[in-house]
Amino acid sequence: MKWAILSGIEGNLTAYEAVLKDLRQLRQPVTELYILGDVIGLSGNNLKNNNLQDDSLQNDNEAVIRRLRHPGVGQLKPQVCVGWWEEQCFSLHGLSGLPDAPELMAAVGGDGVKALWDSVSRKSVQWLRSQHFGFYELDCLLIHGSMASYADELTPETPAIELCDRLIRADANHLFCGRSGRTFECWVNPNQLHSTVTTLDGPQPTQDQSKTPRRIVGVGSVGRTPGQATYTLYSPGSNQLSFRTVNYGQAKKGKAKGFGFP
Amino acid sequence: MKLAVISCIHGNAEALDAVLADIDTQRAEEIYCLGDLVGYGPYPNEVVEKIRSLAIPSCQGCWDEDIVDGLNACECSYPSQLAEYRGRLAHEWTDREIHPEVREYLATLPLTLKKDNLCFVHGSPNSQHEYLLPSMDGFAALERVLSADADVLFCGHTHVPYERKLENAALSVKVGTAESGDRAQQLQEQQFQVPLKRVINAGSVGEPRHGRPNATYVIYNTDTAEVTFREVTYNYEKTCQAIVEKGLPPIFAWRLAKGMEFAERADDPSHVCER
Repeated sequence: MKWAILSGIEGNLTAYEAVLKDLRQLRQPVTELYILGDVIGLSGNNLKNNNLQDDSLQNDNEAVIRRLRHPGVGQLKPQVCVGWWEEQCFSLHGLSGLPDAPELMAAVGGDGVKALWDSVSRKSVQWLRSQHFGFYELDCLLIHGSMASYADELTPETPAIELCDRLIRADANHLFCGRSGRTFECWVNPNQLHSTVTTLDGPQPTQDQSKTPRRIVGVGSVGRTPGQATYTLYSPGSNQLSFRTVNYGQAKKGKAKGFGFP
Repeated sequence: MKLAVISCIHGNAEALDAVLADIDTQRAEEIYCLGDLVGYGPYPNEVVEKIRSLAIPSCQGCWDEDIVDGLNACECSYPSQLAEYRGRLAHEWTDREIHPEVREYLATLPLTLKKDNLCFVHGSPNSQHEYLLPSMDGFAALERVLSADADVLFCGHTHVPYERKLENAALSVKVGTAESGDRAQQLQEQQFQVPLKRVINAGSVGEPRHGRPNATYVIYNTDTAEVTFREVTYNYEKTCQAIVEKGLPPIFAWRLAKGMEFAERADDPSHVCER
């Protein structure tokens, strides 16, 4: 059993195709393909330059959705959950969250809001709305942000106690997330804690608490960085984790690189 | 210095008066309120006016929020379907009775109050709707205190008072990154030690659920960190009678007299509503 775990295509079909090609070239075939949200978007990094009209963005949210819905004969059908961009889209269409998508407006401004509105049809929004919030598989939770929020951005710099809290909320040994767009793994080991509760009836016996180490994995981003896609491979049987980097387009310099953690 | 911390008054003016009198006997120099001034009880306007007239700093509770914003939360506003059904009736009654200036005042209440190393919230630093139960995972409770950047986190919402000491916490984190195509770094380990932190639940002035009808609140001594639970008797039957006479669901009178309500026990106390 081998999982490919992706996130953050962000409407970048070229990047997604490059990752699919890389998957086909793996010696051991992938058995499950998970996409942890942000399948739509505005090709992230380019937004910072207000470069929305740049043709090099190759942003085509509709094409990405079509590709996900119809993967083709013999290809893996991706299992998709919703991410930050999908939630913004739902907000724009009045399907959930706050009206008028204030988060989106703060992040990308009026031009960005219009670009997202124009680039995803109502029919596609309905399909996105039918996707999952996250996946529990074996002892893993696969989700865009965390159980605290779709917008929760976990990184290696997140305070240790916060990472610990997210693993407790996940109620899983491995939490795979995609919000940050980064590839990383954090093993969190809550070694000890003494807890004493006192109520109106008096103090209760002190409880000593510790937990086995658990892991948070940032799975990378397919489409956020132009020319370079990152994603994660995971083998539940052996607990082997590896990150892949795929260069494509003009940034392509050679074969994809992979590196694993023991 | 002694602080009195009160919470969840729920329109019970009789209980509030009794608690304020008891606070006087304890010689507390300051009073903090953790919200839920209104809801369930028959005197929402009177309670708010009393809190305002005494200039008691107060957080906004979940009931206060609902009166300001309307019932627009997901199902997490209530811990069970039965509680939701009853709660809606109480919300509608309170919404009709509340004075415009009282509603405006409730809208101005902050979600969090801070004083030195103390933080005051209604539910948790995450949400007015989150229940910090004493049975909550210790590391999760610790995260709530640390996220508030405090040593002592005062909360209410559960209507049952408790103090929880979280001591000698230790965590380690091994981090490995593989950014920008570089080879993965070796996993680097960091150790974290957390000194003593406390969660103190102030109970409920006007709608107790600890098994007796008495009002509860806490006294906290900032010099000694001593916590004293106060349980105050008052004429709850008078409040029960007013609940019935004013047309609120009689169940609220019954459970006020009993100091308990099974339907108010949360199925998923850690759920955080995202409106």
